[in-house]
Amino acid sequence: MNKAAKEKTINLLFILPAVALFSIFSLYPIIRTVQLSFYKWDGIATTMQFVGLLQYKDIIFHNPAFWKSMANAAYVTTLALTFQNGLALLLALLVSREIRGENIYRTIFFLPPVLSGIVVGLIWKWIYDGNYGILNHFLTGVGLSHFTNFAWLAEIKTSLTAVAVVHMWKGFGYGFIILLAGLQTIPKELYEAAKVDGADSWQQFKHITVPSMIPVFTVVAILTILGSMQIFDLLYSMTQGGPAGHTHVPITRIYQFMGNGEFGYSTAMSVIFGCLLLAVSFIQIEVSRRMNK
Amino acid sequence: MNDARLKNNLVNILTHVILIVIALSCVFPVFWMFSSSLKTQEEIFTKMNLLPEHWNWANYAIAWMKADFGKYFLNSLIYTFAGVFGVVFISSLAAYGFARLEMWGKNIFFYLLISTLLIPIPGVFVPLYLLLKKMGLLDTRTGLILCYISGGLAFGIFLLRSFFEDLPKEIEEAARIDGASKFGVYWRIALPLARPALATLVIFNCLSIWNEFLLALVILQDTAKMPIQRGLMVFQGTHITDYPLLMAGLTIATIPVLIVYLLMQKHIIKGIASGALKG
Amino acid sequence: MLRIVRLLIACALLVPFTSCSQNISRKADVVIWHWMTDRQAAFEKIAAQYEKETKVSVLFETYAPSEVYRDKVRAAATGKLLPEIFSTLGDKREVSSFINAGYIADLSADMQTGWKSHLFDKPLSQNTFPEGNEWKVKPGIYGVPIDVSAIMIYYNKDLFKQAGLDPKNPPQTWEAFLEAGRKLRAAGIQPFASGFSEGWLIGVFANSYAWNMLGEQGILDTIKGTIKYTDLRWLKVYQVFADMAKHDMFASGIATMVNKDAERTFATGKAAMALNGSWGVNVYFSMNPNLNYGVMMPPKMSLGEYPMRIFGGEGSSLNVNATSPNKDKAIAFLKWMTAKEQQIQLAQETKNIPSNQEAAGGLSDILKIFAQNIKNTFESLPVSESWQVNNVINTDMQAIIIGEKTIDQAAAEIQAEKMRQSGAK
Repeated sequence: MNKAAKEKTINLLFILPAVALFSIFSLYPIIRTVQLSFYKWDGIATTMQFVGLLQYKDIIFHNPAFWKSMANAAYVTTLALTFQNGLALLLALLVSREIRGENIYRTIFFLPPVLSGIVVGLIWKWIYDGNYGILNHFLTGVGLSHFTNFAWLAEIKTSLTAVAVVHMWKGFGYGFIILLAGLQTIPKELYEAAKVDGADSWQQFKHITVPSMIPVFTVVAILTILGSMQIFDLLYSMTQGGPAGHTHVPITRIYQFMGNGEFGYSTAMSVIFGCLLLAVSFIQIEVSRRMNK
Repeated sequence: MNDARLKNNLVNILTHVILIVIALSCVFPVFWMFSSSLKTQEEIFTKMNLLPEHWNWANYAIAWMKADFGKYFLNSLIYTFAGVFGVVFISSLAAYGFARLEMWGKNIFFYLLISTLLIPIPGVFVPLYLLLKKMGLLDTRTGLILCYISGGLAFGIFLLRSFFEDLPKEIEEAARIDGASKFGVYWRIALPLARPALATLVIFNCLSIWNEFLLALVILQDTAKMPIQRGLMVFQGTHITDYPLLMAGLTIATIPVLIVYLLMQKHIIKGIASGALKG
Repeated sequence: MLRIVRLLIACALLVPFTSCSQNISRKADVVIWHWMTDRQAAFEKIAAQYEKETKVSVLFETYAPSEVYRDKVRAAATGKLLPEIFSTLGDKREVSSFINAGYIADLSADMQTGWKSHLFDKPLSQNTFPEGNEWKVKPGIYGVPIDVSAIMIYYNKDLFKQAGLDPKNPPQTWEAFLEAGRKLRAAGIQPFASGFSEGWLIGVFANSYAWNMLGEQGILDTIKGTIKYTDLRWLKVYQVFADMAKHDMFASGIATMVNKDAERTFATGKAAMALNGSWGVNVYFSMNPNLNYGVMMPPKMSLGEYPMRIFGGEGSSLNVNATSPNKDKAIAFLKWMTAKEQQIQLAQETKNIPSNQEAAGGLSDILKIFAQNIKNTFESLPVSESWQVNNVINTDMQAIIIGEKTIDQAAAEIQAEKMRQSGAK
């Protein structure tokens, strides 16, 4: 008993550097910021006014724009979870096969994440442009004349999806790499044994790959949720939340308030947003843990 | 037999078509960036040609000088190298602890760490700034690196823990019986086995630290300590963006990250050669 | 192998320690933070000259993008580490917050000694807090404009000719403007582009017509709440966007077009008109030196009782750190920087309008028109509308452009937000 307790204490040394650094440089500033969410403060003044939960109340009951932005982010996230991760998995599996040029493909698929957001924004705006865009050029070329002059980013129906497509294109490389790394940790013997038993590739995928990859899927899923719910840079460079506010997401709203002297209020928004993300992610972790058992 | 071969060929062709289409979409922007870096500003705007009329290689020299890359490049290398090393070492240590060892308050610590990964607070740089000032770390390389390491820990631990948990326990247990210390097992057995995950972590952190600029610009006062991103800003004026030089600068700034990726992806893929997923 | 790795770790951790540890040192007598990185070279030249003349060292540090610059200034303010000279890059409310916190020096006394008379009035009045201002700032002049700007409508003379319009006589009435749009469209030319994705620019255009329809008193009364945003005159302001949309005047995708894209659209002849600032002269030159264009005032509404006004005044202004021991040196430098010779030099190198009126003589023809119209810019008011209301106006004007909302719906929404904000106060 005593020995076990001592053991447990010594083992803490493994996490000590992480916990120490993290507490000072991440946790403490976050706690300080959360504290600000109970104050009305413009970010500059030397005095601030304690308002308790007033700002939370206002966000929850009187800020529909914020909740709409949440729905927008959820939409992008849903698309990313299905299409982006589907693509990442498909490509990881394809590249894991013995095919010609797999090395080149592996390098190329990680180019979008490496690429500067400036270049990505410029290129895709050019693709989507109503008058001179490649996309409309192509669509008109195949006979869909309906799309001449259609500004993909400025139409309510398409703007959010158009941004989501770019987001997914820029992001699938991350999932691709993690899944690729995950595939390597599956012991080869499992596949060989399955082959001896006469399992075809679909059965191997279903009974070996998927079960062994559940923890990795969880990591990728959570990363996707985080990355997509917090989508900002790309969106900001492509639509600035427009047209008429239809592509706003929580982070753009938070910045909007912060930039207009509502520092305290914007932190309250961050806290609410963060707590929701936390809840979603922990449900995700818990579900996959159950599945794994 | 013939049918099977035909089917196999069709699958192969289809595979390549999918891969090539996606690959083209990934390569084109790089090609465009490179091609634009050799054009003139006027040419970029008034002509739509894919290749430059004249290959102005001098743009690279001008961009390098104008952006003061000579000054900033080394800084960026230091921050990225130290930051990535710190993240990988400290988070792998902790992730191993969380995955394998019994300890007090394990779950609390773990969930606390992960929570901060999930709470994005755009205004957090203000308290961080004041904290660094109090600690005398403002305007220091150390302060910035510690922030980078701390910022990468949550994700690193989260990613690595799931990989460590996935590793077969038997080898580690055998080593323990042979008298290896816990740290020895971690260092000599768990780490090498988790190599694909470590390589992934290196790539991701390289990318994020190399491209980071908000913290660097806020925390550092002395321009001599600033990273390469500071140099790139010279081309993006409030009113005028110098696209050819910006593209040249971006091309230069992209190369190191690409090199890291090329070096690391070999480790991600080790062992695949024997064909783990033969169809 | 293991040893090498350990050695590398040690090196990685040691490198930063060897080179840190020095405190935040004084790099120059006067340090200036600015956000226009494209002016770094011109600034450095000025600084070198000054050091040669006076032995006072001046260091310009520019940071972009402007959001990052603003964050840096805020963090430095909370840490009490602002440089001698900086700009808040915020609106009047934000500047007032800096002043009330004691970070920005009152320059009124220095301004009285003849400094003021050389500078354009408008940008100066934007840096002035009058008696009884809503932010409770002690009346005074708190900033120095180093250049001025204005926003007007550029038009492409060649495209005008192509559409059968007279390039020498751009439309001056609203009806003529719409007619010009119709002709341009008929000739296959996009009539009008601007960075209407950036809320402020759409707000600038709306505001011009608010001044035209309501005048200063009307706008003040609206802010006070005695005139509603559903007033007939305000409906006319929203009508501007509905009319232009109805006549198909907007360039494709204008609702999500940032100004840099709009500038490219105009510079490459893909739109015949563009609402843009005087900095556009420099931008267009860099993109297409052969562009043949003129500038005009936004055309007046026939029902507009008041003179047309445009957005403008200060291009960028600088504030002096009240807590710096080198405050006087900083003020002396700003005085020198806004003197005629330096202003001529800066204006030439940055292709901008100088803040010193006496230096505005040698400007190009187009910039001269802008300089002459500085007097027609919006008056600086002692109160301002809340940003939330302005935000709803900007968003709803976009909604009108894309046909999502009618002007009545927009008016009702704007007024509802106004009520909400006055209730919150």
